[in-house]
Amino acid sequence: MATDTASTSVARTVALTRVRRNRVFAVSLVVIAIILPLIPPFNGQDYQRYLVAAALMAAMATAFDFTAGYIDIVNFGFAAFVGVGAYTAGLMAVDFGISPWIGLFVGAAVSGFVGLLTGMLVLRLRGIYAAVITWFVGLALMGLARNMTQITRGSLGLNVPLLLDSSDNLPYYYIILGMLFVTLGVLMFVIRSRLGLAFRAIGQNLQAARASGINPTRFLVVNFTLSCAFAGWLGGFYAHYYGILTPDIMLTSHTVEILAVAYIGGRGTLWGPAIVAFPLTIGVELMRTQLSALPGLHLVLYGLLLIVVMIYRPGGVAGAIRGVGHWLDRRQEARLDREARLEETAEPTV
Amino acid sequence: MTTATNLRKVPLARRFMTFTWGVIGIVIVTLVVFAFVQPSILVDTLVTGGMWALMAGGLALVFGVMNIPNFAHGELFMIGSFVAFLVFSPIQKAILGDPTATALQVVGPIPGMIIAALVGFLVGVILELLLFQPLRKRNREGWVMNSFLLTAGLSVILINGYRLLFGNDYHGFPRYWDVHPLSFFGVSVSVDRAMVFVIAMSMILLFSVFLQRTRTGRAMRAVAQDETGAQMAGINLNRIFMLTLGLSSGLAALAGAALLSIYPSSPDVGLQPLYLAWYVVILAGLGNVPGAIAGAFIVSLLQTLSVYYVGLGWVDVLPTAIIILILLFKPSGLFGSEVKGVWEQ
Repeated sequence: MATDTASTSVARTVALTRVRRNRVFAVSLVVIAIILPLIPPFNGQDYQRYLVAAALMAAMATAFDFTAGYIDIVNFGFAAFVGVGAYTAGLMAVDFGISPWIGLFVGAAVSGFVGLLTGMLVLRLRGIYAAVITWFVGLALMGLARNMTQITRGSLGLNVPLLLDSSDNLPYYYIILGMLFVTLGVLMFVIRSRLGLAFRAIGQNLQAARASGINPTRFLVVNFTLSCAFAGWLGGFYAHYYGILTPDIMLTSHTVEILAVAYIGGRGTLWGPAIVAFPLTIGVELMRTQLSALPGLHLVLYGLLLIVVMIYRPGGVAGAIRGVGHWLDRRQEARLDREARLEETAEPTV
Repeated sequence: MTTATNLRKVPLARRFMTFTWGVIGIVIVTLVVFAFVQPSILVDTLVTGGMWALMAGGLALVFGVMNIPNFAHGELFMIGSFVAFLVFSPIQKAILGDPTATALQVVGPIPGMIIAALVGFLVGVILELLLFQPLRKRNREGWVMNSFLLTAGLSVILINGYRLLFGNDYHGFPRYWDVHPLSFFGVSVSVDRAMVFVIAMSMILLFSVFLQRTRTGRAMRAVAQDETGAQMAGINLNRIFMLTLGLSSGLAALAGAALLSIYPSSPDVGLQPLYLAWYVVILAGLGNVPGAIAGAFIVSLLQTLSVYYVGLGWVDVLPTAIIILILLFKPSGLFGSEVKGVWEQ
């Protein structure tokens, strides 16, 4: 009996430490993300631009992971949904003079609506079929953006007003960082709710989920729509930050980039992709500017990393971080056990 | 790793007889109608359709046998087109230097295509050894999706590797055979296009004979039907996998080489062939090789019609819309069986 209560108390302590450690880890990452653009070398305009790109990539990879990691549907047209949001927000501002701040949300709504339609169409299918059909939908959307030149100006590019009056990168960074936190927060909240439980059940075993009374298609569509809405929202930021839009943002290679970040970060975690996006994107942007004589090198690296992760480390970086956490847990457990045993043997003499 | 049990319950040949001939009939009727209205549509459909059949046939074979949905198939097309360019450049110089050498003019383009196909085969074998074998050893679940993402990464590497090494320029020739166009029923067809058609048709024939009549081809189909069963019958799986990916890659490279005069080599050259081949494969039902060959002509007809009547840029939009509509009513593809299989994973 005595050892029983001792072992539960050990488990309790370990669990409490784990919660505290995770909290410290999360808070320190948030603090780092906030103060990073103030520390040299990140306080220059160039680096701040990279940081904006990194935070945008982090948010997109998180939204991508929401479908890929939880309901096991790889949305190969993800970049197209980003593009739908970007074009909606851009056209709202250009044609109707609506404030970009409202345009962002209109973009999210339209992209979410297109996602809803696509989801209802696609999500009766599973796995590779769903991936390929979403890819086709993405190609079709890009084709539309290319060809409806009277509206989108096609590959000539659409000039979009900026979100702020200044072209200083720092405020943009804090805006996109806020958007990243909102994306992460909302999606994590959903994952931890009953809805998220259903998502995970469906992603792990569709038949079992169906047997336990879940209507899979409805949940899949909800998940897909939400992910697409976030994609569109972030697309709106893209439009109003870079100020020029071409159909090229909808390219499949862009989707593969986001996918690579999500998988390298660790699928099915949400925070893994968000963390990894920062070093990866900054490294890639540096490479792109420093080694401009070697175009495409950064994408080769993305591809190589993706392949290595897929074959050798399916858990990605998040898996490695979790591994460290487990190792710390085990170490503490062993220490507490040892202490308890010492106390037990010491007791009779007292 | 996953096995392909249940993927096919109906033998390939019988399914080909029952489903495909009807649809082929419809396509032929459409083509005959257009042959009177606008004969060049017929020619374009047959020429590009033959090549998409080579691409899609290989894609379907790799999915059927190895359960790999290959996203890097278009990059083999790109490699083929570039190899053909490298081989044909000196030959073309020789032809231009000596216009009297008729023999060289006639057979000149052939070595480029053969070498391209061989290089494609080799690349396929190397990829199997370097990527898919390690993944097969380590992978536990979700093989189809994981191999798909692996090929997505591979495609990015190959496209940008090409860009790194050879730049963004187009490499190509206006034509392989610099002679007067032929004339069929009042439609002039360049010798290049006619040759593309001839090559495609003979390769499809060879490919079907290989699959249906040879021991190795039978072994391949056996692996597609049931991996474990095939292994028990003494088939060396690794050898079949290597051969399958090599064959499929070789066909894609050959298509790239043959179409060099229409699709000049560049980093992005494989993209359109890739997604057209995927349209075909999805339309026909994943892993169904004869269906893919028939489906290639359907997609090629859709492509040609949208180019002629709507505009060049709409190639991405219209066939996609039609294919998605078809899939709404028949999710397993035109020639697909109703048996749910590995793609569900």
